[in-house]
Amino acid sequence: MEELEKLKLELKNLNFEYAKIKEIAPEKRGEFGRELNAKKVAILEKIKKAEEELLNEEVEAIDVTAPVGVNEKLPEVYSVFQGTKHPLMTELDKVTGIYQSMGFDVVESRQLDDEYHMFDSLNFAKEHPARDGYDTFRTEEGLIPPAHTSTMQHRVLKAYRDRLKEGGEIAVVVPGRVYRNEDVDATHEHTFYQCEGVYVSKTCTMGDMLGILREFFEKYYEQKLNIRTQPGYFPFTEPSLEFLIEKPKTLGGKKGDFLEMLGCGMIHPNVLKMAGIDPEEYHGFAWGGGIDRLVMLKYGLGDVRYFESGNLNFLKEF
Amino acid sequence: MKISLNWLKKYVDVKVSDEELVRLIGARLVEVEGVIDESHKYDKIYVVRVETAEKIPETHLTLCQIDVGGEELVQVVCGAPNVREGMLAAWIAPGATVPASVHEDAPFVIGKRKMLGKYESNGMLAGADELDFGDDHSGIVEIDPMIAEPGELLADVFGLDDSILEIENKSLTHRPDCFGLIGFAREVHGILGNEGKFSAPELEEEILGEASHDLGLSVEISDSRICERYTAIALAKHGEIKKKYLTFIDTILAKSGMRPVDPIVDATNYLMLLTGQPLHAFDYDKFVAVSGGEAAKVVVRLAKEGEKLELLDGREVELVGNDIVICSGEVPVALAGAMGGKSTEIDEMTRNVILESATFSLYNLRKTQMKHGIFSEAITRFTKGQAPNQTLLVAEACARMLKDGFRVAEVIDNYPQETRVGEVKILVSEINGLLGTEYSKELIVRTLESVNFEVMAEGEILRVSAPAWRTDIRIPEDVIEEVGRLLGYDNIVPTLPLHGTPNQNRMWELKTQVRDIMSSFGANEVLTYSFVSEKLFEKAGLSKKNAYRIVNSISPELQYVRQSIVPSLLDKAYVNQKIPYDQFALFEINKVYQKKWGMNEENVPVEKMRMGFVLAERKGVGAAYYKARKFVDELLRELGISAEYVSITREYDSSTSEYVLGMPFEKKRAAEILVSGERIGVVGEFKNSVRHNFKLAEYLAGFELDFDRVLELGRMKKVGKFGFKEKIDETVTTMESYAETLEKMQAKYPEAEISAVSIYQPEGAEAKNITFHIEKS
Repeated sequence: MEELEKLKLELKNLNFEYAKIKEIAPEKRGEFGRELNAKKVAILEKIKKAEEELLNEEVEAIDVTAPVGVNEKLPEVYSVFQGTKHPLMTELDKVTGIYQSMGFDVVESRQLDDEYHMFDSLNFAKEHPARDGYDTFRTEEGLIPPAHTSTMQHRVLKAYRDRLKEGGEIAVVVPGRVYRNEDVDATHEHTFYQCEGVYVSKTCTMGDMLGILREFFEKYYEQKLNIRTQPGYFPFTEPSLEFLIEKPKTLGGKKGDFLEMLGCGMIHPNVLKMAGIDPEEYHGFAWGGGIDRLVMLKYGLGDVRYFESGNLNFLKEF
Repeated sequence: MKISLNWLKKYVDVKVSDEELVRLIGARLVEVEGVIDESHKYDKIYVVRVETAEKIPETHLTLCQIDVGGEELVQVVCGAPNVREGMLAAWIAPGATVPASVHEDAPFVIGKRKMLGKYESNGMLAGADELDFGDDHSGIVEIDPMIAEPGELLADVFGLDDSILEIENKSLTHRPDCFGLIGFAREVHGILGNEGKFSAPELEEEILGEASHDLGLSVEISDSRICERYTAIALAKHGEIKKKYLTFIDTILAKSGMRPVDPIVDATNYLMLLTGQPLHAFDYDKFVAVSGGEAAKVVVRLAKEGEKLELLDGREVELVGNDIVICSGEVPVALAGAMGGKSTEIDEMTRNVILESATFSLYNLRKTQMKHGIFSEAITRFTKGQAPNQTLLVAEACARMLKDGFRVAEVIDNYPQETRVGEVKILVSEINGLLGTEYSKELIVRTLESVNFEVMAEGEILRVSAPAWRTDIRIPEDVIEEVGRLLGYDNIVPTLPLHGTPNQNRMWELKTQVRDIMSSFGANEVLTYSFVSEKLFEKAGLSKKNAYRIVNSISPELQYVRQSIVPSLLDKAYVNQKIPYDQFALFEINKVYQKKWGMNEENVPVEKMRMGFVLAERKGVGAAYYKARKFVDELLRELGISAEYVSITREYDSSTSEYVLGMPFEKKRAAEILVSGERIGVVGEFKNSVRHNFKLAEYLAGFELDFDRVLELGRMKKVGKFGFKEKIDETVTTMESYAETLEKMQAKYPEAEISAVSIYQPEGAEAKNITFHIEKS
């Protein structure tokens, strides 16, 4: 308390100091002002700290080893009717569940990664303009909050390559959070979820990739779907495609209303090579797509920004 | 990029409907973002001849009788200065919409009206701006009598009954050739399965005529890595190019989203749209004057750090060592591939011209683009990596287009090292094996040849050479992509490979389980951003020193990677308490990063999975600590983990950021969660200052758990004891803490499960009465 009073007095005196600026030679006034300002900032900081300490001192200690407070009722958790799970997480569970039923392992994606995994290991040439398409964030150290779950592809290939030698295949999906430096609006978020798929074997074909993807979407939307592809470009797949589904009637779709759901393609031989897998002997395919979009379509949501709003009005709808 | 279907059809024979054509382009070439229907944009607009033109005294208006192809002449009043008898003009008939206004909210429909109270005017004679062919408002357009007659629809003469494709550029990043109509048309030729090789007349070699060699010109490339090829043609003026008539080129520029400027610029722009090769024109005499020489000496080199250059748009830029510059001798006159310079700009006085047709390193240009913020049509094409094969052909085509006004004085083609496209060897079975198709060898060969690949077949082996502009074809997979794409991925039959049984991901399953448990406890799962503000750290009492900082964050709100979960939840608690919700509990399970954890064996930051939890009540009474503890205790119990709650005795130092997750908690009303003596988290109420900073009501508590530890400990799940249990309640009066008292009870009843029923302290009493519930097996 005394400390605080002292500080406040100091601040008051300092304010008088400012008046002296007129007595200072004009060329020295700048420096004088700066010094005073620095002092002021320091004092204000101390005052804030002292005030916080004062606020925290008032607190009465309790016996934290006890499960219940003195003369209080035994605490209870809330009613089950009040509880909710986040729709994105619930749906992501369904997504991974479907892939698991098709034989895929689940490996979660990182949320802070490096240039090597995000780009180099995926056959992006150094300085190539294709890197710009990802609108990545960067930390001071040059680390990257990944802009796609493909950032895990190299790791997954390395971690699972022994399976191939044992005569098996690599079949992994990678759900995770990704980040893009773009303006936020009803259909764009800087933070969203993706799910990546990686499959490698001796005999797999592009037909297998299309089969797996169609199977997944039909299971997820619980109906037969029309699918379509269009050429795409990703440095880490060759050929590269975009995969589309016709918006189901039950979800308000009209005939010919195709929606881009994900990007996919046959894994580029350089990507396999870099992970120590012989592209002469094995090939594979990979895909990656947004989860937010999938869920928005399923529930007819119009605004992606709700997902990270933490707003109970929204969350209680699920 | 915009592509006119009518223009496209000049180069490809299209036998399918427009709808099918667009579908095939979308499925086999590029993402079509949209199709602009211009089929009615020029309805009821006719070519007419002005038969009489009489000035209306004391006005700028002219009273005209025009031949619209019918029996009788039509009267129209025209305000343009260039209207004259005998000219062909474009007439917007009454009831038609002014084309430039069709996309506006209230399109302008032309009618019949009286001017100056007595002159009836039917429709209007249109200028280029009204027809949406540019900004020129100086007069009405004039149409070449060689190509049209009065009464013809303007749309028929110029092919304006059109559909314009809007192409997503990103999906063509790897195909510089398709940024020109010819390249695009070639692909469509292949997609449609049209017979034979594709060809385009503009780029067939044609004799340019002997150069007169009377203008000095040389080209020096300092390093072929920054400029693979530089073609320059010096043109000397020998006549006037009068821009008199509305041309087909004007309409193409307009449909492609560009504007007609002057004949030279229009020719270079048109050829860029057609071939993908950007061109630039310098004023020859200014170019020579800049360096004070006698002949033009073009030098391509990297800029010197700090060199200055005034660009065409009037900006002066300070160059950096990465920029490529075109110099006249020593003096920079243009930023290569990006923008020309002011000092050599073409104007009405221009006598002689240097045409530049070159390619530059896309890597350098990409940096130049970012550094100087230049996003022109030209640099967009250059940064895709234009192939050097056609620079001379395009420059020559441009010279031909300008031949009415200019003759060729000199042609220099500096191409130090010709780019060779290698040969790819591939088996038919490899193509079908990767695609999952059964295409015949003949079909594959025919398809590749239709887009100008050369294929030598030796049995099953195909030796494939890509055309010069396909520098992206290097490995067998590239050829497989061409075959799969041109024949249609939609023709591939989906199949399902066999699969094994997946392994468990225990963390994933734990999180799923915990979400179920917590929602059954009435808690609400939220997701919050991984990026937080410095302000949030301050409010929660955390130091930013330990947090990874984003250098290109969207806003200060998203500047740091979060170090713990609870502060984000406190933020959301405020949002919900304000709505208002009287009581709720928020939780989130997500990853966090702290600098002091260092790097893992892959040299990327160590990451930790955490669960945060905050409960807040507006009207709650008593110590919120106990309720939060109830949640965490019940949760851990469900996971088979029994925890102890002990007072916090160590300091959580903000400056060294020791145990960051504990920072917001009030030590006097919070506990560390111990399992087998190991700390796995903190539960409790928050410091008053924290609560104030987040503007939350008094009843507030939470916890944060190290989920990696929870996963480890959850493994050691204990098996519950079954069978008959003796149950008694016993009350102890004590001054000691609950933990100490419990310890004594446990000694008294070993093996028994002991829990608290109540803690009662009569008013004024020093000691409290703790009632235990004991279950003995």
